[in-house]
Amino acid sequence: MIKLENISFDHCIKCTVCTIYCPVAQATHLFPGPKQSGPDAERLRIKNPELVDASLKYCTNCKRCEIACPSDVKIAEIIQNAKWKYVKVHWFRPRDFFMSRTDLVGGLATIFSGLTNFIINLKVMKVLMHLFLNIPYSRKFPAYQRGTFTGLYKKKFMQSQKVYEKRAVFYHGCFVNYNNHSLGEDLIKVMNALGYGVDLVDEKCCGVPLIANGYIEKAKKNAQYNIDSLGKTGDAVIVSTSSSCSFALMHEYPSFLELDNSSYIDRLDYITKFIYDEFTAGNIPQMKAVGIRAAYHSPCHLERMGGVIYTLGVLKMVPGLDLVVLNSECCGIAGTYGFKKENYEISQGVGQNLFRLIEKAEPEFVVTDCETCTMQIEMNTKYKVLHPVTLIAMALEEKNKGKK
Amino acid sequence: MIYDCVIIGGGLAGLTCGIRCAEEGLRTVVISGGMNSLHFSSGSIDLAGFTENGSVVKKPFEHIKNNAAKKKDHPYTKVGIPAIRKSLDYFKEKVSDEGITLNHNSDFNHFHVTAIGAVKPTYLSQESVFSSRGKDIIKSGAKIAILNFKGFRDYYPEQTAANLKEHPLFKNSELMLGDISLPYYLHTEKNLHEFRSTDIARIFETERYLPRIADEIKRAAGDADAVSLPAFIGINNYREIRGKLEAMTGKFIYEIPTLPPSILGLRIDHAVKNSFFKHGGEYIAGKKIESSVIKKGIVESIITGSRGTSSEIKAKYYVLASGSFFSGGLQSGVSSISEPVFDLKVKGDSKRSKWYSWNFFDKKSHPFLSYGVETDSSFNPSTQDGKTVKNLFCAGSVLAGYNPVKEGCGGGVAISTGYKCAERIIREIKK
Ligand SMILES: Cc1cc2nc3c(=O)[nH]c(=O)nc-3n(C[C@H](O)[C@H](O)[C@H](O)COP(=O)(O)OP(=O)(O)OC[C@H]3O[C@@H](n4cnc5c(N)ncnc54)[C@H](O)[C@@H]3O)c2cc1C
Ligand code: SF4
Ligand code: SF4
Repeated sequence: MIKLENISFDHCIKCTVCTIYCPVAQATHLFPGPKQSGPDAERLRIKNPELVDASLKYCTNCKRCEIACPSDVKIAEIIQNAKWKYVKVHWFRPRDFFMSRTDLVGGLATIFSGLTNFIINLKVMKVLMHLFLNIPYSRKFPAYQRGTFTGLYKKKFMQSQKVYEKRAVFYHGCFVNYNNHSLGEDLIKVMNALGYGVDLVDEKCCGVPLIANGYIEKAKKNAQYNIDSLGKTGDAVIVSTSSSCSFALMHEYPSFLELDNSSYIDRLDYITKFIYDEFTAGNIPQMKAVGIRAAYHSPCHLERMGGVIYTLGVLKMVPGLDLVVLNSECCGIAGTYGFKKENYEISQGVGQNLFRLIEKAEPEFVVTDCETCTMQIEMNTKYKVLHPVTLIAMALEEKNKGKK
Repeated sequence: MIYDCVIIGGGLAGLTCGIRCAEEGLRTVVISGGMNSLHFSSGSIDLAGFTENGSVVKKPFEHIKNNAAKKKDHPYTKVGIPAIRKSLDYFKEKVSDEGITLNHNSDFNHFHVTAIGAVKPTYLSQESVFSSRGKDIIKSGAKIAILNFKGFRDYYPEQTAANLKEHPLFKNSELMLGDISLPYYLHTEKNLHEFRSTDIARIFETERYLPRIADEIKRAAGDADAVSLPAFIGINNYREIRGKLEAMTGKFIYEIPTLPPSILGLRIDHAVKNSFFKHGGEYIAGKKIESSVIKKGIVESIITGSRGTSSEIKAKYYVLASGSFFSGGLQSGVSSISEPVFDLKVKGDSKRSKWYSWNFFDKKSHPFLSYGVETDSSFNPSTQDGKTVKNLFCAGSVLAGYNPVKEGCGGGVAISTGYKCAERIIREIKK
């Protein structure tokens, strides 16, 4: 049956503007593009689900088509739905299974982090992964850190957070927890400077990699777990440093997974929106000039959320930051997409424009909000990538520490 | 952190305004929902193409001047001839800095061919559409080959040829039709007719196949002096490509816009956006402004997003450049016309049956095209209670008082009103 709320395909005026801006359709002719795979084909799929075709797998769910569409068609959502909802996935796919279980794999890997990092980047291991798991040989993996961020928080920060009256819950996500503790530490530093004490609550992976790999039921379970957990946090603000986790918590839960997140939606922000609001309200900590030239890359999901305006707003407040804003281009990694052998060339092809722009800007650092964009850019350019929060943490004066 | 100027709508009007404000050092942001109507346009800027009774205007500035007394509410009358001229010169200069040359026929209109093969007057065109060399070639009665790429569905050369044959300008010309094919297609799984103009433009942009395409053109065009192609010979580096093709074929290359996406329009879109970035403007795509807060004739903020994800944006000055019905700047109910962001006073008929003509191609056009937001002579609109909103300006096709199709003046109004609003804001801020 056609659900009334899902008929946005009917608003399509067939202008093909979405396809002009689809980075995958630009990189390969194997993908017919958003217009054809989205609203066009949806009409047929509704009548006969067997018309779902394999080329849908090329869509990275970057949502650039939706940004471009003049008629507000939810093109990427239509494609995601078609990918997984018409065809039930039953068989076990080892690579997709492990790739999408970022919390399970991350949890194991951080216990043996030294060993994991060693093995995962061994030549022989890469050959094996290439052959058996279809993970491209030339892909570099994110390094796993020893222990988890939650563990570190308990040991090092929990006590010191108690002195703050205003409370903020930090949804840290898998990347901070397993791969980048220092971003979590920077977040605490910045929140403290703004006068907030940081709490952690029980959380599971937001579900983005699960959705991308077709484990919709598992994604729903995780989402419900997070909704329950975040819903119980009273009136504390909730922040996340990951643009993709934020996107899922705010938008994908109610729209794609059809779950009710009203218990926290009014309190949750992607971090730069939160900081922007604080700064605008006059709560600006002491900052010193950073003296850095940086190029800013806007991640696709943050663009879709309309969040770029806040990241730029905040960055423009950092003294001594010479910021080059790069033209909006997709980096090509799209979460787990670029880690798969069959997508590797397309993923790299999509990213070429961005890599060229970065080289042309000649920055000292690249700044971006998204963890997988960070990996992609660090692998393909010679630059180190910083999160906006890290940049603010670098600018903070020591004396902010006392501010309660 | 308050913007000097927030512009709602990233079309021709909003971006012209944005470039001018950003250039003056104002902190400027353009916030836009979907892509603008340049993606569907011919890429030529119409200034004043037709008179009230539908005949072709030869000298647009003269026409505007003569009409000013009669049409007090027309945006052109409010902008004034000197500022219209200045805005077009400014616009030309800015897109030229981004690699797109716009030509005009001194103070006269020239003709261009539209996507459905109609021959229409316009004022500014890219050099592949109007140049003095092209003009000479047509005058000399040269042989013209109208070519299409075999299998390409978004363009009808037969229609173009039929219309050109009837046009007095081409009465001496010999016209012929022909097809070219691209070698590239032999190696793709895609069906020929699945290719849109942008797909083909990207193939041209690689420049890999140019020599073979040139051979194809020479074969299909025979001894013709000029060749017209559907506009798909590149988006960003089309000038080099056109130059190379002309050198390789020894023929003059003319471009005709295709059905959307229109590459000629896309080039202008990219050029104005790049210019805006270069002057330090911020551009937020894919974000619709849903509502606003107006108190005592002053806009306090505008609001995006829905519950939980909504946010307020504040500025000293606001510009509404949200386009017409097509772009969502105006909305129609069962029997009402409204402006959704500020609920401004609009001019339009409340009787639905009066909105349109039964004849789709009515020469007098449809009345709804002239509906829009009413403003005073400074482009300040008013709220439903009749109060003027002082820090809000309106520009482009959201405005009432003109019919872009009937008068052939859409681009000129967008550019000149966008420019004029920017001048006003700059003056206020620098006070
Ligand atoms: C199909 C078509 C073809 C045309 N061809 C020509 C031509 O060849 N030559 C010519 O001179 N004129 C042409 N015109 C006339 C055209 O109206 C003007 O030339 C001009 O491009 C209009 O520019 P604009 O900036 O006023 O509006 P638009 O280009 O329509 O831009 C408005 C923008 O505002 C955005 N917007 C709307 N509401 C909101 C909101 N609430 N929040 C945020 N953003 C919003 C829209 O998404 C859109 O991007 C054409 C018009 C149409 C519709
Ligand atoms: S989501 Fe991205 S990859 Fe998928 S169709 Fe849209 S633009 Fe293309
Ligand atoms: S941009 Fe929107 S309206 Fe245009 S073809 Fe794509 S889905 Fe349809």
